[in-house]
Amino acid sequence: MKTLIKPWLIAMLWIGALFALEMPAASAHGEKALEPFIRMRTIQWYDVEWSTQKFNVNEEVSVSGKFHVAEDWPVSVPKPEATFLNISTPGPVLIRTERYLNGKPWTNSVALQPGGDYEFKVVLKGRLPGRYHIHPFFNLKDAGQVMGPGAWLEIGGEAADFNNTVKTIHGEIIDMERFGFGNGVFWHLFWGVLATAWLLWWVRRPLFISRYRMLEAGLEHELITTNDKLIAKAVLVGVPVLVLAFNAMEINRYPDAIPLQAGLDQILPLPALVNAGTVNVDALKAEYNVAQRAMVLQIKIDNRSQSAVRIGEFSTANVHFIDPELPAARHKPDGDAITTAGLNIDDKQSVQPGEQRVLTFVAHDATWESEKLDGLIRDADSRIGGLLFLYDDLLGKRYISSISAAVIPKFS
Amino acid sequence: MSAQIPIASFKPYRGEKARLARAYDYLILVLALFLFIGSFHLHFALTVGDWDFWVDWKDRQWWPLVTPLMGITFPAAVQAVLWDKFRLPLGATLCVAALLIGTWITRIFAYHYWNFFPINMVLPATMLPGAMVLDAMLMLSNSLTITAIFGGAAFALLFYPSNWPIFAMFHQPVEYANSQLTVADLFGFQYIRTGMPEYLRIIERGTLRTYGQYAAPLAAFCSALLCSLMYVLWWYIGKWFATVRYLAKI
Repeated sequence: MKTLIKPWLIAMLWIGALFALEMPAASAHGEKALEPFIRMRTIQWYDVEWSTQKFNVNEEVSVSGKFHVAEDWPVSVPKPEATFLNISTPGPVLIRTERYLNGKPWTNSVALQPGGDYEFKVVLKGRLPGRYHIHPFFNLKDAGQVMGPGAWLEIGGEAADFNNTVKTIHGEIIDMERFGFGNGVFWHLFWGVLATAWLLWWVRRPLFISRYRMLEAGLEHELITTNDKLIAKAVLVGVPVLVLAFNAMEINRYPDAIPLQAGLDQILPLPALVNAGTVNVDALKAEYNVAQRAMVLQIKIDNRSQSAVRIGEFSTANVHFIDPELPAARHKPDGDAITTAGLNIDDKQSVQPGEQRVLTFVAHDATWESEKLDGLIRDADSRIGGLLFLYDDLLGKRYISSISAAVIPKFS
Repeated sequence: MSAQIPIASFKPYRGEKARLARAYDYLILVLALFLFIGSFHLHFALTVGDWDFWVDWKDRQWWPLVTPLMGITFPAAVQAVLWDKFRLPLGATLCVAALLIGTWITRIFAYHYWNFFPINMVLPATMLPGAMVLDAMLMLSNSLTITAIFGGAAFALLFYPSNWPIFAMFHQPVEYANSQLTVADLFGFQYIRTGMPEYLRIIERGTLRTYGQYAAPLAAFCSALLCSLMYVLWWYIGKWFATVRYLAKI
């Protein structure tokens, strides 16, 4: 008895601890699990905004923004020949009503061009009340998901109020929540009743042991009666006739039915927004200081614009390193994207028009670790990529460059 | 070695023996029902999977090819047991009915209530007409060859037409986002599946092309040929399971 008390006590304590300790719901989508070089050098998101983060069932919310498809696309990741701009949700708590790429509506998958610039907008409609962490993200065929910046959305109202009607090409208004359900149940019941009748016809008589004994005794002819054969013949003829008749009726009922659509959308990139040729930036060297959690990038800037420019921001994998001394670079957060003031430039003098200058900037913050981006130095492909934002001194005009370089770790 | 019973000495069970044999029937039937609900449903979900889960995966090429081909497996194996040992021609119908029970339970509770998908987006297909014909064919022919060729073919050929009354309405065209979609495609676009981008659908892919824009009949006949072969394979798998080697006396 004494020996039983201890394990029981431990078990009870363990169960009690499970109830007592708070276990928060998971709200991430595994984005940090994806290799850093894929997050940094495939889809480079920027200017992502949500129209609102609090709305009701049946009300719409939109997420819009831009992305650059990195020129330095990792060799181990298949080229983006089939991609799908998706929304990460815990099930269809919202429905997607509209989606635009470069102003064009699109519903299928799309091929993206490395080096291309795109702007997107997705319109969503609240379906189930609750508070959800939602990301726009790209599904890349054979590569995985590249998350954009997420946001917490709060949907109020009642789930029962949700409605979603669509007009067919013939003008019929259908309720997407219920359309075809009653009809489906009817046909399942119809065939289910016939199948049950067939099963009951056999199950009503002695089955396994009795029939096995008779079969072994050579009384097979007694196991299948004339009526059995008659019914089987009726099934053999009647069922196909019914199937074909119902099929013909349905073909006549929906003569304009079409196959599922499987086209790949082709949408060309915008005129260059990133690496547009006015201010060119070339990454010469990159070092990651492990102890200081700092990425040191040496770059060469070639300013071909009419005004002096300064570096204001370096952005990679939805982490924004801002120069706090430059007002134009003050960042409007992309949902819950991480913004840090950890950008230091060795030479803060503006790069004059026509000037070429080599600069070194440091992006330092603990987010290299917390976002699991520092894993880059232990990866098979240890090249960093990101967007460098430069600002015109005079008008605050923004120039964006997509840069990349191999990273050398420094351990001291 | 099985339990041979000479005709001369055969006596049907009566009284308590008959009652116990009948109780055993019901016990086996209930167990078989749960076994097939679980195992066939798992097999079907792993092999046919998305083609049966989603209304926007039920295309005219791969759906009628893959579904009967994977669907005839358990029916063939169970028929081998029930017909060979008991002359019961209900193996296919029993299996498919069990599959549908499991499927409906999953669609309602896992897909609709748990993951919020509209139930009409995840309507299952039916293979019951083909299963009944397969059972009737086996019973009337009492031949593995004839059942495999004609029954297996019928199982595949009847699949698409028996499901068209359920799914034709989802193939009505809709003008949406400057393009023509089916209602089924629109379900896939509107009701967000985070883990399933559109390009993942295996529809209208590969060299299984159309003839004069007819695709479903080609896929169905291709499936019919493959089903005949698959039937034989799974018949022998069923037969291998149904050994009476250890049954000395009954």
